[in-house]
Order: sequence, then structure tokens, then C-alpha cells
Amino acid sequence: MSLSKLRAGIAKRTGGDAGNFGALDVEVREEFSSVVLEGRVPDWRLKVELGWFAAGFGYKGVVNDLEVEGIEEERLAPSFPAGDRPLEGRSFDVAIIGGGVVGCAIARELAKWKVSAVLLEKEEDVAAHTSSRNDGMIHDGFAARPGTRKAAYNVRGNRLWEPLAGELRIDFSRPGSLVVFGSSAAKAAYPIMAARAKENGVDGWEFWSRKRLLAEEPNVTDGQHGAFFLPSAGIVSPYRATVALAESAAANGVEFSLGTCALGLEKEGGRITRVLTNRGDFRAAVVVNAAGNWSDAVAGMAGDRFFSLHQRRGVEMILDANAGRHLNHIMAMPSLLTVNRKTKGGGLVKTVEGNVLVGPTAAEAPGRENYATTAAELRELEKHLRLNKKLSPSMVITYFAGVRACTYEEDFIVERSERVPNLVHAAGIQSPGLASAPAVAEDVVRLALEALAATKRVSRNAAFVAARRAAPELRRLPFAERAALIAKNPAYGRIVCRCEEVSEGEIRDALRSPLPAASLDAVKRRARPGMGRCHGGFCTPRVMEIVADELGIPLDEVTKKGPGSRIACGQTKAGAEGGRQ
Amino acid sequence: MIPRERRDVVVLGGGPAGLAAALAASESGSDVLVVEREERLGGILKQCVHDGFGLVRFGEQLAGPEYARRYIDLVEGRRVAVSLETFVHSVRREAPAAARRAAAADGDPGFFVLTCVNRDRGVFELEARALVLATGCRERTDRQVFIHGDRPAGVLTAGLAQHLVNIEGLLPGRRAVILGSGDIGLIMARRLTLEGMEVEGVYELKSEPSGLSRNLRQCLEDFGIPLHLSTTVVEVHGKRRVEAVTVAAVDQRGQVLPGTERRVACDTLVLSVGLIPENEIAESLGLSLDPATKGPRVDQAGESQAEGVFVCGNALHVNDLADYVSESGEAAGRAAAAFAARNGAPAARGRLVPVKAGPGFLYAVPQFVDRGRPGKAVLYFRSNATLREGARFAARAIGPDGAPAATLLEKRYAALRPPEMERVEIDVALVPVDAAAVSLELERKEGLRG
Ligand SMILES: Cc1cc2nc3c(=O)[nH]c(=O)nc-3n(C[C@H](O)[C@H](O)[C@H](O)COP(=O)(O)OP(=O)(O)OC[C@H]3O[C@@H](n4cnc5c(N)ncnc54)[C@H](O)[C@@H]3O)c2cc1C
Ligand SMILES: Cc1cc2nc3c(=O)[nH]c(=O)nc-3n(C[C@H](O)[C@H](O)[C@H](O)COP(=O)(O)OP(=O)(O)OC[C@H]3O[C@@H](n4cnc5c(N)ncnc54)[C@H](O)[C@@H]3O)c2cc1C
Repeated sequence: MSLSKLRAGIAKRTGGDAGNFGALDVEVREEFSSVVLEGRVPDWRLKVELGWFAAGFGYKGVVNDLEVEGIEEERLAPSFPAGDRPLEGRSFDVAIIGGGVVGCAIARELAKWKVSAVLLEKEEDVAAHTSSRNDGMIHDGFAARPGTRKAAYNVRGNRLWEPLAGELRIDFSRPGSLVVFGSSAAKAAYPIMAARAKENGVDGWEFWSRKRLLAEEPNVTDGQHGAFFLPSAGIVSPYRATVALAESAAANGVEFSLGTCALGLEKEGGRITRVLTNRGDFRAAVVVNAAGNWSDAVAGMAGDRFFSLHQRRGVEMILDANAGRHLNHIMAMPSLLTVNRKTKGGGLVKTVEGNVLVGPTAAEAPGRENYATTAAELRELEKHLRLNKKLSPSMVITYFAGVRACTYEEDFIVERSERVPNLVHAAGIQSPGLASAPAVAEDVVRLALEALAATKRVSRNAAFVAARRAAPELRRLPFAERAALIAKNPAYGRIVCRCEEVSEGEIRDALRSPLPAASLDAVKRRARPGMGRCHGGFCTPRVMEIVADELGIPLDEVTKKGPGSRIACGQTKAGAEGGRQ
Repeated sequence: MIPRERRDVVVLGGGPAGLAAALAASESGSDVLVVEREERLGGILKQCVHDGFGLVRFGEQLAGPEYARRYIDLVEGRRVAVSLETFVHSVRREAPAAARRAAAADGDPGFFVLTCVNRDRGVFELEARALVLATGCRERTDRQVFIHGDRPAGVLTAGLAQHLVNIEGLLPGRRAVILGSGDIGLIMARRLTLEGMEVEGVYELKSEPSGLSRNLRQCLEDFGIPLHLSTTVVEVHGKRRVEAVTVAAVDQRGQVLPGTERRVACDTLVLSVGLIPENEIAESLGLSLDPATKGPRVDQAGESQAEGVFVCGNALHVNDLADYVSESGEAAGRAAAAFAARNGAPAARGRLVPVKAGPGFLYAVPQFVDRGRPGKAVLYFRSNATLREGARFAARAIGPDGAPAATLLEKRYAALRPPEMERVEIDVALVPVDAAAVSLELERKEGLRG
């Protein structure tokens, strides 16, 4: 019944204009309570719109296999060839696929139990994808559509982050978020906004008069009519948070297998028995799918592809640290419309380091790992600068793109597979996935333990240490403590990155952490050298030397982000001696 | 308690500017300390192994490290104290301590206290009467010129490429595209070619090259490396390592002309897109920067608007020749020593007469002439356009009524180009005591005929 309605709707949407009715050949069928779209459409936008349309018919999921002319289907592949097979023949209770914030939060939550667990990440480090390419905002939970899993996980996650950040020894703060009223009509909508915040269970909201707004956010652009304030909105450094979760999990016994891509899941009698990777095949009693933008592909490996992902790009600009003093709160675009869109409309966020993030954009575009930015995207972001009188485009020091992994239902999937009893999905974790990660991890671990109960009795890990042993950050210590540390280890006194004030000792710590860095980008994520104004212009050779020394490799083998990304490609004619004279 | 060391003058930066300043201050009788954050003295010259230094100073062609060596030897010969691999965390001004205040003269500006970090001493403080900022400059990055596309390895600034090749003995890649025709980019085009890399071409956004003529000749023409003017790199391609870049022609405003995009295969993109004076410390001391030079505003001795803070070399403005850098360092060092020697006694500083560079100048340094400093004042300037037909330069003192009061200097140039810095001297005694300004004028040759 609903299938025929869906078919009719799709026919209308694919041929309705200019008399070429029916020109497009789209097949619709039902498979295991999901709806599958097949055929060919001329452009990407139409593919996504049909997917959204199909999501409105009450199926479990939409599998959108429409081909788009000129766009090739992307295939999952290892990021670089592996030279060894250390996982071959081994056996684990739980295998987590994906080392983003979701996978790493799951790994740490799992470490509270006596299980053997391995996390597979295809890149040379965790947090290499979406988890380091976002706003770092721990959303209040107001923006998510009421009744969605996103809304519930967000509010729970928001409450969990503060104590978690304390255990992980990472920065967390709650500047709160302002939705500015740009017109009296917007101001009149306050009761609707308050009702929505209440429905979502958000921890507090306030009406701010124009006077209050000006007092609290003096540089806000003139002509505002007040604001809707959400005090629970917080911020973290997303890559630091992800790395810290991973380090804590590793220190508590979870094994991390980096540069390892899950390529297949072998089943027997409906259950996954073996995980096939480029670094060896191994047995796993339970598999967790936390593969971000590839989570539909991983579901497919187990024959459980009941949903598919579309990619929503987001571009952000970063302003110089000097810009941070002009901004006190997170500020969202002053438009009521944004509340109903598929993502919040972007705005301004002051990072924990004091820079200002401007963004993100939201655009449907193919490319699961396409982080190329364009000039047009940056221009689009300049509108956010108009929220604050003191900010200007000349403050931009860098910019980047991220890709949200979205289902057509536009909601998270956190569940035990209906078809494969020892598979748990944490898939389609789009925004606010960072904010939600700790709550998602709690549920995933509960589901994984339930699945594991079939084969094993699991007890709590009494040896779990919640507090992460964080390496010192010298620039933040009082001088006396700093001096004492340098006296013990003089490498803390040699500043290598002068923009961010990072010492040799801190870089060595990053290279020896429980989840050791092995590339320049991985060092950057842990200790920040090269993240300042000069972007590594001065410190790169010095950081390379330290990396080479710690890893015991020649200088020209140091990489930016793992094999295939060397900084240099061999020696000059004279070699180092000639250069040094 | 943080241990503290006292000096008359502290020089920040051990490049040619800082070395010359330290030497001059020491020769003037000051107790000087040079703070350098790197492991060796010499500044950027350590990696400039090419010839082309010292023609003005020493009348001979030296390589960068040789030029630096001469100053290092002189500084070491005078046993000037040097603190290497030392990071300056912050600088503040401190009023004279209570005990000393009794003895201190009225208006004593006090001391500078630098909180420093290094391996051997941990955290320590330096106290000085006068401060010389000789911190050089840094390079603009790919993000500052808004290059888009992927983020692979293989995108680096020319200075970093130079460091890798000349200091570490590493080749950055096999086939390079160079963006920007600044001198470092040109020099690296030659250097990389000599090392066996292929340099596909140098691309410049502007319609004229921004490097010195001699470098265009010796580094590109002699090696058959093409220079593409009014062309820029718009996109980088490659997931892990650069695989290609897209280049495109631009109009006069620098906007890309659609349809001119072209893909160029390469594994390395070298950026030579400008230098910016390093002035975080100057800014932390409240000094405002001249938007044209990106350095603090100073008088002819390099003294900034903050008493006792002197600035020289590339921290002041980006110089084309190290010889001029040394010259500005000497002036600053001498003046800093004199300032320290007064030991807080009321300022001998005279009236600061603003130097106003008229249309036709990119900038002029210094921004003030101190009437109280007798003798010659050296002015450096750049024109903002290429004047092939030649030009006439004039410096005039403007009286309080706004009318020209005295002509300080007139000079003809056969040609002027923005990349080439010009140096002139004026006699400060010719500037009337009540002058409102020193006005600089530049007239094109055509104008002269008319
Ligand atoms: C521009 C932008 C701004 C955002 N802002 C916010 C915000 O402010 N607050 C917020 O809460 N959320 C925000 N989000 C969303 C948030 O970033 C994501 O929801 C979150 O990072 C998703 O984490 P993840 O672990 O699921 O995915 P990822 O971080 O992408 O991790 C998945 C990992 O799995 C690995 N992987 C995939 N397949 C395999 C395989 N077969 N084998 C091995 N490894 C595999 C990948 O390499 C990847 O590292 C934003 C997103 C974007 C794009
Ligand atoms: C690649 C290149 C090629 C050139 N070619 C020529 C040429 O052929 N002929 C020529 O005459 N000129 C040439 N020049 C120009 C000339 O070399 C420079 O103008 C000159 O070196 C600038 O000297 P400086 O002392 O101001 O700065 P630098 O040489 O940059 O020295 C600054 C020093 O200060 C240190 N420092 C900075 N901040 C701090 C701090 N906070 N604390 C402690 N130390 C600090 C730095 O580590 C550095 O050692 C070239 C320049 C470059 C970059």
C-alpha cells in the first residue's frame, strides 16, 4: 500500500517537469523492512531528495542505490598498504570498527569490563576523519528534532561530557549558546523555542532582552532584539577528546590496531565469526560498527545493509587566537528557519584554545572523505562574521571541511542488528555526534555485552582507571612547576614550536603516549606544534627530527599522515653533511 | 622566586640585525645579551647558502652563512653574552624597585623584564634598561593566500624548502611548482633544479615579478625555468601526497578568468607568497604596527613609540639586502646603548617629526625623524609601481603652516621597482625645529617633462 504511494510520488518527482514524464527509470522495492531505490538519475541532488522522500513512508531504512551519471560509487579500501599481518589468527571478544570519537568512546566504555577488545582504524591515527573536522561543540540539544534519537542522545551526552572531560584531563567549558533575535518577529517566537527546548529535555534556557544581550556579548552586531540563551552548550577540542578517549582505553587494556581496514565480515550460521582486514584475519565474538562515513559499507559486509548514507559537507574557517577576546558565547545564525533545517545554521564558536571557529556550511555532495575546500564555501561563511562587530575576514588563519555521515531518516542508528545477532551498529552518527558520543557509547556497550552474553559471562574490570595520565602542558603551568619539570627533564625547556609554545619534551611525550603518535599530524593532534600562525614553517624540521629519533627511522621517512605522505623524498646530493657544512 | 639576570641591553634575535645591534651596543660600552631561540646564531642567513650578501658592507660577494660568520666572529671577539635556544615567554615593563626608586630620577621609565625558558636554566628572568627587537619575519602560508583543494603532504613554504635542502640535506620532492616570484621562491627554483628536481614553472598572481631583477636572471632565465605572470594556483590535488595543482590566469584584480584552468602534474608546491615581520612581542608591549610595513613605527634610530624599545632588520620591514639589515641593527644598537647609559634619567628624546610618504610609495621607514638626534638619518623606501622611465625623489620639511620649509634632498632614479628597496640619507639639522612633517615625494619621469 505505502509502497505504491511511494512509487507514485517518485514517478512524479522524477518526471514531472517539461513533459518528459517517466523519462527517469527508478525502481522501488522492499527488502527486509527497508525500501531500496535502484536505477539512474541525472544528478546527485535528485538522488538525495528521493532518498529523503522515501524516508517518509515508515520503513526501517532507505537503501538508496541510485546511480548518478558521471559519479562513480566509492569503494572502501585500505588507506595505505600494510606490510604485516599481526592480527592473523587472533581472537577477541569485541572488535570495534572505526576510531572516531564514537569508536573511541565505545572502546573506553568497554574497558570498564573484563573483555578482550580491539579497535580497528584504517588511518595511521584515531580522529583522522569527521571527529577532527567539526565545531567541537557539545550542543545543548535544542536544535535536534523532538522525538529523535539525536535529541535524546544529545541531551544525555551533554550531561556526561563534563565529568568525562575531568577524567580525561581535557578542557571543557560551557560558554552557553545564543540564538540572536534579528527581528521582532524572531523575538515573538520565543515561546515556541522554549517549548521545543522543554520537549527535548534541554538543561535550561533563558530569554535575554536586548539590554542583557549587549551586556553579556558587547560586540554583537547592532539592531538585535534580544536572544534565546542555552546555558548548557559546551565546547571541547574534538580531536584531543578523541585521542584522550583512545589513550584512556588503551591504558586500560583495549588494543588499537591502526592502519588496519576491515574489508570483510565472515559469517557462519547467521553470526559473524571472522573479521577480514589488510593486517590479518581474526575471530571476534561481537563486532561494533562505528565506521562513520563508511558505516553503511560495514553493515553491508555483514549482509545487514538496511540503510545507506549520504554525505553532508561542512566547511569551517578558523580565526586567529586574537579574535577570541571579542566573543563570549557560542552564537548561532539569527534565523528561525535554521531551527527546522537539517542542521543548525552555523555560527561562531570560541574554541578551547581561544580561536574562533566560523561555520559550518551544510551542503549535500558526494565524497565520503572529500575535504577539498572552495573559495565559494568560504564566502558563504562570511555572513556569520556579521554577528560580531569586531570580527573580519582578515583574521582567517586556516579553513577545513568535514563530512557528516547522514542516513535518509536523518537520525542516528544505535542498535543490535536485527539480522546478525553479534553485530551492533553506531551508524549514521551525524551532528551532534560529538556531543552524543558518551551516551551512544553507554548504549552500544550495553548492547555488545548482551550479545556477548550468549558466549561469555562478563564481569566488571576492577582494575579500570578512570583518570587518564595526561602528559604535562608546560605553557599552562605556573612557572615554579614548569621550572621543576625542566630541572627533571631539560627537553621540557627546549621550545620547538614557538607559535604554540610546545617543547621537545611534550612532543616526545606524544610519541610515547599509550596510543603513540607516529606522524606529524598525529603529533599535532596531541601536542599542537604547527597549529599556530606560521603553520609549521619553522618547527617542521625540528618536529621531524624528534619523530625520526623516537621512531628510529631516517628523516626522509617521516610522514604527514602515514605511508604515502612523506614530507621529503630522499637526500640531496650533498646530504645533511653538505648542508651543515 | 624566579632567578633574574640584569643587563643594560637585551637583543631579541641573533640574525644579522640582532648581531649588528649587539655589536654596536657593546662597542658603545653597554653590557649586552643576545637571546636567540634557535640553536645557532645567524638567523635566516644560516640557510641562505647562495652568494649575494655583503656587496654593500664588505664590497665582496659572500654566501649567507659567511656573511653571518663575520658578525658572529666580531660578537664572539667582544665576548658578548649569548643565550641560545631560549624562548621569550613574555615581556613586561617594571617600575624601578622601591629601594632604587628613591635614587631614581623623575620620569624613570623603569626596566623591561623578560620571562624566558630554556633547557639549562628552566624559567628565568632578564632585566634590561633597553630592548632591541630583531626578531626577523615569518612566511605567509598557503592558507593566507587562500589556496583550496586537498590537504596532502608536499605543500611547503620556500623558507621551509630551503631549510630542508640546505640544512637537513633533504629533497622535498621530484617535480615542483613554485607559487610566487619573491626572492626566496626564485632562489629555491634554482636550488631545487641544481639538486636534480624538476621545477615546472614559477607562477605569479601579479602582472610583474616580485623578486629582484638579478634573481630573475640568475635563477630562472639561466636555467630556462618559465615564469607565468598573472597566473595563480587555485587548487591542490592529491589525498596523501601532492599529485597535481590547477593553475589559472587572473585579471588585474586577481580574479580567476574562467576557462583558463589547467592541471599541472607535480608532487611539490612551494610557496613564496610574502614575508610578515614577527611582531608578537612588539604588539604585547602595546606598539601599534604600520599597516604598510607590518612593523612598528620608529624613528631614525629604530626607537619605537615606546621609550627604550628599539626595532631593526626584518622585524621592522622586509629588507631585500642583509647589508641594510646590519645597518639598521647598528643604528638601533648604538641608540639602545645610549638609552641604557642614561639609566633612567629624563628622556633626551627630541620632538618626533612624522615622515609622510606621498602617493607613489609602497612605504617609507622610519616613520618619524627625531629632531633630537643630530647627524644623518637613513631613510629606506619602496615605490608602489614599476617606474621604467625613471623618477624624481624629493624629501622636504613642511613648516607649521603646511607649506614646504626646506628641501632636504632631491634625487633622480633611472628606474624604480617595488621589489628593490632604496636608501637615502638626509641631514637632520636641516629639518626646522618646528617642522610639522618630513614629506617624501615621488614623481614619474613623464611628470618631470610635463
Ligand atoms: C563541519 C562539521 C561540524 C560538526 N560540528 C559538530 C559539533 O559541533 N558538535 C557535534 O556534536 N557534532 C558535530 N559534528 C558531527 C560530528 O563531528 C560527528 O558526528 C562525529 O565526529 C562522528 O564520529 P564517528 O566516530 O562516528 O565518525 P568518524 O570520526 O568519521 O570516525 C569513523 C572512523 O572509522 C574509520 N573507518 C571507516 N571504515 C573503516 C573500516 N572499514 N576499517 C577501519 N576503520 C574504518 C574511519 O577511518 C574513521 O576514522 C560536525 C560534523 C561536521 C562535518
Ligand atoms: C631566503 C632568503 C634569501 C635572501 N637572499 C638575500 C641575498 O641574496 N642577499 C642579501 O643581501 N639579502 C638576502 N636576503 C635578505 C636578508 O638575508 C634578510 O633580510 C636578513 O637575514 C634579515 O635579518 P634579520 O636579522 O632581521 O632577521 P633573521 O635573519 O630572520 O633573524 C631573526 C632571528 O631572530 C630570532 N628570533 C625571532 N624571534 C625571537 C624571539 N622571540 N626570541 C628569540 N629569538 C628570536 C630568529 O630565530 C632568528 O634567528 C634573503 C632572505 C631570505 C629569507
